[in-house]
Amino acid sequence: MDIFLQQLANGLTIGSMFALVALGYTMVYGVMKLINFAHGDMVAASAFVGLTIYTQVMGQATSLGAVIVIFLLSALTMACIGVLLERLAYRPLRTAPRLSAVVSALGASLVIQNGIMLIWGPRMRIFPELVPQVYWDFSGVVISLIQVIILALSLILMIALYLFVEKTRMGAAIRASSIDQDAARLMGINVNSVIALIFIIGSSLGAVGGLFIGLYYRGITFNMGWQYGLYAFIAAILGGIGNIPGAMLGGMLLGLFNAFIAGYVSSTWADAFTFILLILILIVRPTGILGERVAEKV
Amino acid sequence: MKNFEKLGLPAFIAVMAVLPHLLNERWQAVAITFLIFSVVALSQDIVLGKSGMFNMGQALFFGMGAYTTAILNNEYGWSIIATIPLAILIPALFGIILAGPIVHLRGDYLLVTTIGFNIVFVQVLQNNLGGVTGGPNGIFGLDSLSIFGTDLMSQIAVYYFAVIVLLFTLWVMRNLEKSKPGRALHYLREDQLAAESIGINTRVYKIFAFGLGAGIAGLAGTVYATQYAAVSPEAFDFIQSVLFFSIVLVGGSSIPGVMLGVFVMFVVPEIFREFATWRYFIFGFAMILAMILRPRGIVPATFGKIPKFLIKGGSHGA
Repeated sequence: MDIFLQQLANGLTIGSMFALVALGYTMVYGVMKLINFAHGDMVAASAFVGLTIYTQVMGQATSLGAVIVIFLLSALTMACIGVLLERLAYRPLRTAPRLSAVVSALGASLVIQNGIMLIWGPRMRIFPELVPQVYWDFSGVVISLIQVIILALSLILMIALYLFVEKTRMGAAIRASSIDQDAARLMGINVNSVIALIFIIGSSLGAVGGLFIGLYYRGITFNMGWQYGLYAFIAAILGGIGNIPGAMLGGMLLGLFNAFIAGYVSSTWADAFTFILLILILIVRPTGILGERVAEKV
Repeated sequence: MKNFEKLGLPAFIAVMAVLPHLLNERWQAVAITFLIFSVVALSQDIVLGKSGMFNMGQALFFGMGAYTTAILNNEYGWSIIATIPLAILIPALFGIILAGPIVHLRGDYLLVTTIGFNIVFVQVLQNNLGGVTGGPNGIFGLDSLSIFGTDLMSQIAVYYFAVIVLLFTLWVMRNLEKSKPGRALHYLREDQLAAESIGINTRVYKIFAFGLGAGIAGLAGTVYATQYAAVSPEAFDFIQSVLFFSIVLVGGSSIPGVMLGVFVMFVVPEIFREFATWRYFIFGFAMILAMILRPRGIVPATFGKIPKFLIKGGSHGA
């Protein structure tokens, strides 16, 4: 039972990180039908940007105010890079064959990943201890302050995003654009602004996810974006890609699944089990858990 | 294409035949790498370019061929040449088995599933399943190439082996294009629904393409294992698959385009070695730029002979 509760806590923590990153994938996919391969590397870049802001701008302060500033500045930086990325690498290919945009996304991923390596070096860096190491021991089940913060903040951000998308006019524009871009344009929605908006939101959420990864795992490497990005992308697919609540659900489920595999089977097989789960789900339900069955357009 | 076959191919063979004698050891090795990766990229082209299936796991089949050769040679003492049939058949069989349940998936889902297969494969190798893959270090100390009991120790022998494999691959691809399955795959890629409605069994042909691509990649794996006399899991990581995927699309899924892509990706970095750390940074930019300037690839493929009056606006094919 102890293992179960411990892995439940760990699973919810990593699940909320997956979910935050998965939202970036799913929103871009929803509107542009493009797998933004660069998103994972943006997440990795955010951890490094946070590290630099901490050492260069904030003078290594770890007060609550300083931590908030680090989060805001990192999110802002990544949002700008996200908009730039869309403008330079994706917008020129809006009407090109779909695979061209995929290759462009892979290229952007290589540029960001190796940009991190050229700026911060190929070696692993240690992320600063922004949150004090506080642990609570509930008769064998250890929960840290970091875990509580990650889970709480992720839930707040996800609820905020859900309300934004469901209850506001801009949210309605996002939903309309992801159903049918041309019809949305005819209704007077500026699809270009919608796309810029989803890159701002997706990149900021990814940035927060990247900082969480730094806080939780401590060691950050330039090529970690591929790994976390892939997991987050799987989470998005599990939930039904293009579906915002689906990405949240998929992230949580994938986090729990991973934690239980690590706890009960072996962490060396975690990747394999994750993909076998993905493949099985796709065979049974090709559009994910919450995804709607879409008729093939002729 | 006609002109290319008449003049280009003999010229190409002639250059390939003389080339190793003009190069030193290091450049011979680079040339062999070029030949091996050309074969893998062409096998990827069969699945991705010719059939339009988003496969991002070709390194799996490449690795499976290499490991088949390595295990048979190292554990069971088969000569390298004798492992070739199994190094083709086992990946081809796996290609068919793995493709079976997934070929109906839509583009991006197929892409992620094939990445998944690749990652599971590498993890199986690393965890040494069955105790024959050698774990994270892989298998080393393979025999050199030998024919009828005569050892061919020199690198030039491996080079000619690689050339023969590449020519064989080109021959397969040429025949594929002129055969019924090749035409079926082309229609399928252009419009699956239309292909189905004129009676093409899309499922069978999709699985066929996967099997064929896997078999050829497996054959390239044999050459790879021979050249390095070793195999290890990270050589077949899904990052490699990403490279092959990009090469085919940037090249334009035509034979010259794909080989140009391999040349740029694997030979050019050897020339500019001092910029090694900048390699992927520059490639990333080049990929974006290539797609913006030529969305259908550097040398777009054309298919068959379509009478001029049937073509609206001039260009056809991919």
